[in-house]
Amino acid sequence: MQSRRLLSLLAPALAAGLLTSTSALAQAAFSCPQTGGDLIVGMEAGVPTLDQHTATSSATRNVAMNIFETLVIRDAAMTPTPDLAESIETSEDGLTYTFKLRDGISFHNGKPLTTADVVASFDRYKEVGVNRATLDVVEKWEATDDITFVITLKQAQPTFLESLSSYTVPIVILPAEEAAKPANQITPIGTGPFKFVEFVPDSHVRLERYDGYVANDTFGDLSGFAGHKQACVDTVTFRMLTEAGARMAALETGEVHIVENVPAISQERLAGTAGVEVVRLENFALNVAYPNWSAPPTDNALVRQAMLAALDMEEIMEAATDGAFKLNPSFQFPDTGYYSTAGEEFYNQADPEKARALLAEAGYTNEPIVLLTNQQFPNMYNSALVMAAQLQAAGMNAELRVLDWPTALATSEKETAGWNVFFTFWATVTAQGGPTSLRNLANPNNVYKPVNNEGDAAFNEAFARIQSGADLETRRAAFAEAQAIAFEQVMAIPFGIMQNAQGIRANVENYQPYYNTRVSNVWLEQ
Amino acid sequence: MIGYTISRLLQAIPILILVSLMAFGIIYLIPGDAATVIGGPSATAEDLAQIRANLGLDQPLYMQIVTFYTNLFQGDLGRSLMLGIPVTEAIIQRSPITIGVAIYSLVITIVLGLVTGIIAALNHNRWIDQAATIFALIGVSLPNFWLALVLIVLFSVQLGWLPTGGYIPFTTDPWGWLRTTTLPALSLALLQAGLLTRITRSTMLEVLSQDYIRTARAKGLSEWVVVGKHALANVMMPVVTVLGLILSVLLSGSIVIESIFGVPGIGALLGNAISSRDYPMIQGGLLFVTAALLLLNIVVDVLYTWLDPRIRVGGGK
Repeated sequence: MQSRRLLSLLAPALAAGLLTSTSALAQAAFSCPQTGGDLIVGMEAGVPTLDQHTATSSATRNVAMNIFETLVIRDAAMTPTPDLAESIETSEDGLTYTFKLRDGISFHNGKPLTTADVVASFDRYKEVGVNRATLDVVEKWEATDDITFVITLKQAQPTFLESLSSYTVPIVILPAEEAAKPANQITPIGTGPFKFVEFVPDSHVRLERYDGYVANDTFGDLSGFAGHKQACVDTVTFRMLTEAGARMAALETGEVHIVENVPAISQERLAGTAGVEVVRLENFALNVAYPNWSAPPTDNALVRQAMLAALDMEEIMEAATDGAFKLNPSFQFPDTGYYSTAGEEFYNQADPEKARALLAEAGYTNEPIVLLTNQQFPNMYNSALVMAAQLQAAGMNAELRVLDWPTALATSEKETAGWNVFFTFWATVTAQGGPTSLRNLANPNNVYKPVNNEGDAAFNEAFARIQSGADLETRRAAFAEAQAIAFEQVMAIPFGIMQNAQGIRANVENYQPYYNTRVSNVWLEQ
Repeated sequence: MIGYTISRLLQAIPILILVSLMAFGIIYLIPGDAATVIGGPSATAEDLAQIRANLGLDQPLYMQIVTFYTNLFQGDLGRSLMLGIPVTEAIIQRSPITIGVAIYSLVITIVLGLVTGIIAALNHNRWIDQAATIFALIGVSLPNFWLALVLIVLFSVQLGWLPTGGYIPFTTDPWGWLRTTTLPALSLALLQAGLLTRITRSTMLEVLSQDYIRTARAKGLSEWVVVGKHALANVMMPVVTVLGLILSVLLSGSIVIESIFGVPGIGALLGNAISSRDYPMIQGGLLFVTAALLLLNIVVDVLYTWLDPRIRVGGGK
């Protein structure tokens, strides 16, 4: 079989790294300057489960991705990168992917990792994995020997490795005996640098260093979820401190070393507190709303366009984030592979006169425009509040419908009446690139509720090309096309980028904020 | 008294059945389910469908009802959707934590409320009385979540005496338990102490104006004996009644307080179950809390008849 190293096509920089002498890299590889201590992280949300196959929750990933690893994962540039795999090869016809496992890896229970565990983990993911649609394109997977795992596709899909490495619900590798267990009933045993000690729901999760961990020496340092990982601290305690005031107090007193999500109101005070530093993730999430295409008056494209014309995104984002935002005429974060400003003429128009003209053309007769939101996520509520005022100023009869989050989400998902705009945000899906970021707008998901769930044909055609385009340029062009349609038809309204602030104590070294909490390569200054 | 107790216990059974039916009806009427919570803001319709299949939420409602009651009559409250463990196991793990904090809180409430109320009554219309009345008014007016945050700022951030949160089991480290539960217990107790102060003060004032107290004083008994023996015994009647109510408020208040302080008790369990639509956990938790409150009321009623021999039910002699 003729084969080529696919990684060289996906990531020239990474391929360069792979081709570099391993020993040269090993010399430069990260090594903990100090070891020891208990690193305590104050989490903003409770951890629902540590079964990573079954949870999209960020809180689960924050803990679980320090325990588990995958065959292939994203690096800091969101490029698919081998993790447990040493190499990934694809056949010329693009139908067969061959993964070779790294040597010497063992699970936290001491059992050596083999492809039998990989097969069992994929079997389980296909059964209970939340994103199991990723594997719909797969004809079969098999272990040809203890270190060789082969995936055969039904038809070539150039973005297959992008899907496979998506970490929204990653395909983490479990020991075969754990993979045989039903959803949410596993013991969290992985191959990562930290092993599970205890989980007390609503209180904490404790991990400890796994002494048998084999770091990926192909890399010099941590990159995204990939790279050279090392446990510097003895233990990590993830404490669930859901009340923001209590979480900030715990950081100030030094009871915790790192806190997630510092509210804007606390940032200035914390920044001025001795021994505390506020670090920021610049592109955390896209603040977004969906119109409802099935309910009048937003079933009329002209009314939707009038809404979009009326919006001043700066005002909305200011209220939503207390100033921690960036305007962004895109469904992607800047400086990423699929970033495009196609359709930007529809973004941040702040033009009530144009809105009035469009309303007149639409024959709008002051029907209510119901903004469905909740108070659990302040960004959603505040966005709705300001948007309602802006729509009213442009002559629209906007009103709020405030429910609790699960009710609001279920209403937007199951009902096509009783609401016109639903408020949410996209975090990891936006970070992970084109195909993932627009999934919500494509068939069969169609969050904008087209009549009979028949999504916009032109958009879906472009979306298909984002997935099937032979090369990145083709896929980028398709993404730009799809985004322009989404803006013009008002399939979703991206208000802007929300930033995320985290607080750390001064004795925490080498902590880098990311979409999820990573505690590898972090040490405590003794 | 045994017959009375058994009769009250039997009366509790239909109430429990009614509560379970109401709990089932109410939570299934509310839109939203555990899948939307697990899925989060970015989940697609496909994701949610898969999560529902994993949790068994794709079953028809009648099947879920049949399964719930079949299991219930076999003593099985089902399995928590979020925790992945049996509901009974979760309740058994968590309830001692809440009961421990509630008892600690009750002790603080009694000591503060009773003492302040008695001192206020004995110093009627003096500044001490007015100060106690203001303390009681503030106590009953403050929201406990706000008080909890103020206590954290004062005792943890400013003074550094107590941790901001967390929980250490008593069996692991009694001193650690005391340190981690003091602020939650205080947050719950200060409010109820205000209520108890008012009840104790007004009852004590009424009792102190009775003829038999005047007689006791005329006999030359010391003020300690008059108050401690003759007056306090009669003050205890309404106080015991209100203590039952206070304990039930302490238990329900734990939903908010445990979440703020990260105490993994039954309150946090139930609060999270409600916000995450963990149906089996809500049903099991509500049944447990209802049973606990019913039992508490029965204990209070029995204590009441024990404290006051004049009270007999159904002409019992």
